Amino acid sequence: MSRNARHQALFGWLFAAPFAIGFLLVFVAPIIWAIRAAFFGSEAAEGGLYGGGARREVFVGFKNFAHAATNPGFWSGMGRVLAFGAIQIPVMILAALFLALLLDSFLVRRPGLWRLGYFLPFAIPGLIAAIVWTYLYLPELSPFAAALPDLDGIAFFLSPRLVLASMANITTWTYTGYNMLIFLAALQAIPHDLYEAARIDGASGWVIATKIKIPLVRGAALLAVLLSIIGTVQLFNEPTMIRTVATWMGNDYMPMLMAYNTLMGQISPSGMGPASAISILMAVVAGSLAVIYALVQRRIAR
Amino acid sequence: MSAVRTAPPPAFAPSKFARSLTLIVLVVAMVYFMGPVIWLIIASSKSTADLLTTPPFAFSQLNWVANWQALMSWTGGQFPRWVINSVIYSSLAGVVGTMISLACGFAIAKYQFPGRKALLMITMTGLLMPVALLTVPLYVLFQTIGLANTPWAVIVPSLVSPFGLFLGRVYAEASVPTELLEAARVDGAGEVRIFFTIVLRLLGPAMLTIFLFIFVATWNNILLPLMMISSDNLKPVTLGLYGMASYYAPNKGAMMLGALLGVLPLVALFLALQRHWRAGLAAGAVKG
Amino acid sequence: MRKIALAVTLTVTLALAMVGCANPQDKKTEQKGDPVKITYIHRLPDGEGMTKVADIVKRWNDANPGIQVTATKFDGKAQALAVKLETDIKANAGPCLAQLSYNEIPEMYVKGLLQDVTAEAKKYQKNYGGAFGQMTLAGKTTGLPQDSGPLVYLYDAKEFKALDIKVPTTLDEFKAAAAKAAAKGKYIAAFTPDETAYWLSAQTAAAGGVWYKTEGDKWKVNLDSLEAQKVAKFWQDMIDAKSVLTLDRWSDAYTKAIADGRLIGNLSAAWETGFALDGLDGTPREGQWRVAQIPDFGAGAKTGPDGGSGVAVMKGCAHPAEAMKFNDWFNTQVDDLATQGLVPAAVQPAKTPAKMARQFGGQDVRAVLAQANKNLSQDFIYIPGFSAVVPKTTETAAKVAAGNGKVADVFAAAKTSSFQALKSLGLPAI
Repeated sequence: MSRNARHQALFGWLFAAPFAIGFLLVFVAPIIWAIRAAFFGSEAAEGGLYGGGARREVFVGFKNFAHAATNPGFWSGMGRVLAFGAIQIPVMILAALFLALLLDSFLVRRPGLWRLGYFLPFAIPGLIAAIVWTYLYLPELSPFAAALPDLDGIAFFLSPRLVLASMANITTWTYTGYNMLIFLAALQAIPHDLYEAARIDGASGWVIATKIKIPLVRGAALLAVLLSIIGTVQLFNEPTMIRTVATWMGNDYMPMLMAYNTLMGQISPSGMGPASAISILMAVVAGSLAVIYALVQRRIAR
Repeated sequence: MSAVRTAPPPAFAPSKFARSLTLIVLVVAMVYFMGPVIWLIIASSKSTADLLTTPPFAFSQLNWVANWQALMSWTGGQFPRWVINSVIYSSLAGVVGTMISLACGFAIAKYQFPGRKALLMITMTGLLMPVALLTVPLYVLFQTIGLANTPWAVIVPSLVSPFGLFLGRVYAEASVPTELLEAARVDGAGEVRIFFTIVLRLLGPAMLTIFLFIFVATWNNILLPLMMISSDNLKPVTLGLYGMASYYAPNKGAMMLGALLGVLPLVALFLALQRHWRAGLAAGAVKG
Repeated sequence: MRKIALAVTLTVTLALAMVGCANPQDKKTEQKGDPVKITYIHRLPDGEGMTKVADIVKRWNDANPGIQVTATKFDGKAQALAVKLETDIKANAGPCLAQLSYNEIPEMYVKGLLQDVTAEAKKYQKNYGGAFGQMTLAGKTTGLPQDSGPLVYLYDAKEFKALDIKVPTTLDEFKAAAAKAAAKGKYIAAFTPDETAYWLSAQTAAAGGVWYKTEGDKWKVNLDSLEAQKVAKFWQDMIDAKSVLTLDRWSDAYTKAIADGRLIGNLSAAWETGFALDGLDGTPREGQWRVAQIPDFGAGAKTGPDGGSGVAVMKGCAHPAEAMKFNDWFNTQVDDLATQGLVPAAVQPAKTPAKMARQFGGQDVRAVLAQANKNLSQDFIYIPGFSAVVPKTTETAAKVAAGNGKVADVFAAAKTSSFQALKSLGLPAI
């Protein structure tokens, strides 16, 4: 190894080590635990009404996985999630990018206040956001929903036809501002002399935005989309919130809801094993989507 | 640097029409994003009965004092303590989490070390697993090492953020010029010093973005403290509000006030950090 | 930049110092002569105007230096507590006592998380009413009951008078009164999908039936019984005649319907008297409501159990006898428990708390609830895994409420998911 390579290796790992160690503790160890749990189930220790009041852990092989993968509810939930993401992610990312470009342009003199205002929804705890949006969606309480008709016997915003859009609205409301911050941070790092040079060459604001700024935030934008795809597969807060006022959805409307409620013994009493199997399956789907996205994006870039 | 931007030379100043159009767009967006927040402010002033029967976007009887008393009663007088707990947990997780994310992201972006690709892949895989499902195994782990029901049980899991790592890497790739690092090395600066004096400075806005993410995620996390913390005096504020909400007939007005008071520290923080928003050195340093 | 570094260092140091101060529980090993330590985890609301659990426990600790109790409140839902308890007990770090809903007791027992304290419980049995049976599984008692939830009827007496209707005593009277009220845009009952599993099972019990019984060593899922069919038909008729509101019990829409005076009565669990009328405080409607027994569902003066919980002794508790001693004392502090909105399971009469008296126009609410407790069906039991039956039932009921299906479908859904739950636990079912 050359001196420089050794130097690079040493300091590379030195800087990476704190995170890597934390990651081992907080992610790798629990994931291994969860993977192990997915291969186990439990059975009654004895016969009788209460199984003798004790249980035994048993190895069940791929039974939990087979159960999750052959559950039509899992795949219809996944379908809903994909439909949700296909619309919500582009809308949110484009809105965030647009707002970021606007705030970074000469059109806005004092971006501070706007920046704070757009970001604030991100800071509202999901629990409270749920109450806020419930109040805006329920016809009995909302200043907007009362005038709208029921669809299929269920309140407008909470009906099967519109509920995905209602959830997408909450997600968009919560995360657009934060994604905007991500883009702004990337934009701020661009040396301003670059624009000034362009301006002196006679470029308009539009040209600067599309030809200089957007290419420079490309990295951040691709990352934001990628993470949103993964986040969407794990969508949990919004369906949990909406379900409190749209009970027809059931507790397995989306995969993450299914995984969590399985863990809580609300779908079948057996808990951790099946829940782990569902989440591993979710991770596989999310991973495949991420890979597909990366490949497509690379092809387009070429 | 001040929040007011230096005006462009007159020849490049945008037209009045463009400015007005922009203003309209900004205001519409503001109404959308702030509407529910304003609702929260108004709701925090109402009694439970008024919340249901009075127009949602108008103040009625101001019930703040009663709501505050109810909040204190529901939380057994612990509300201020819980806010302080949350501030401690979130700032500690935010500060340390941002540092380790940036350091690791910087390392991946700028150093050629063996295992670099693998590290990135493994963290990516970690992100795929829904965190909520890892809470139980984490709890088992923290129980085993004797850290359950301590502040560490909330802080340590919160400070490892793969998302922060990816952001750190993307930002470091985009805005830390390798030539600058080389120049500093030639000048005889050590790697650690370079990181703290040059890299962190270049990554100012990035740092803020990652910090806010971890801070808010820690503040709003319910499931983790629900499992980890059982002592009353260690609870974070969001958990306390959740406990109140789990009852059949919570005092909603008091909860809204609690939530609002919980958002205030974050607003204060954001305002305080405003001026670090611009990367002070970026423009000059590149040429440097 | 130096400022940031300084700020970072300062925050970290300060925070570390404070975290250091707030250190975990002392882990001294027990020695002879040391007081016995009992931990008790509960989900009581501890709200405004209630006697706080900490204060009740303090009274015990002051009077019993030899048995020191630490009570902690769990802030999440019942199912999350079940998961935490399971994890804790497997790690041998569980609490001694935990508050559990009656419908969770069988499942927790099956999972091996509860201790058999039959001998101790016998000593205290005389202090409790029928709910004692809910803590007993196949002859093994696992703790003591805390509160019970017989179905009662809550109604707005003034509105009833204005509409010239009386509190119905039979199902036919109920239908007639509901139709008369509905014609004026008022509703004397609500079909609440999110409560159906508990609500319809309690009504089945009131009709003299059960959802589950045991046949030898097997569970018999009894959801096709005549009693169940009768309950299903009753609500189907009510929904078809549009004489019932359909809204979720725990949505704000329900509270608002009461505040608006659209909903003027409902079949409710007894513990709902603790808060159901909170939205009327300070309004002109305050004090108009009363509580009565439910109508005769065909089995005479009988009602069914809707909710309620007990305090069970967990596996791994080193001092079950002392724990049970406290358990009995705590659950007989009926006046304190009543302030938490509970209908205590102890036989000892409780005073009607001031708030309740105000909301019910001075009525002796407790006397009515005590009678309901006496009328409570003793036969109704839950299967292990009932918590997995509830969501499917709710989901189906919500569809019925939207006009997509019949009430009978709700019972069918409960039946299917009951079999699934038992199968998944590996318990014999027919």
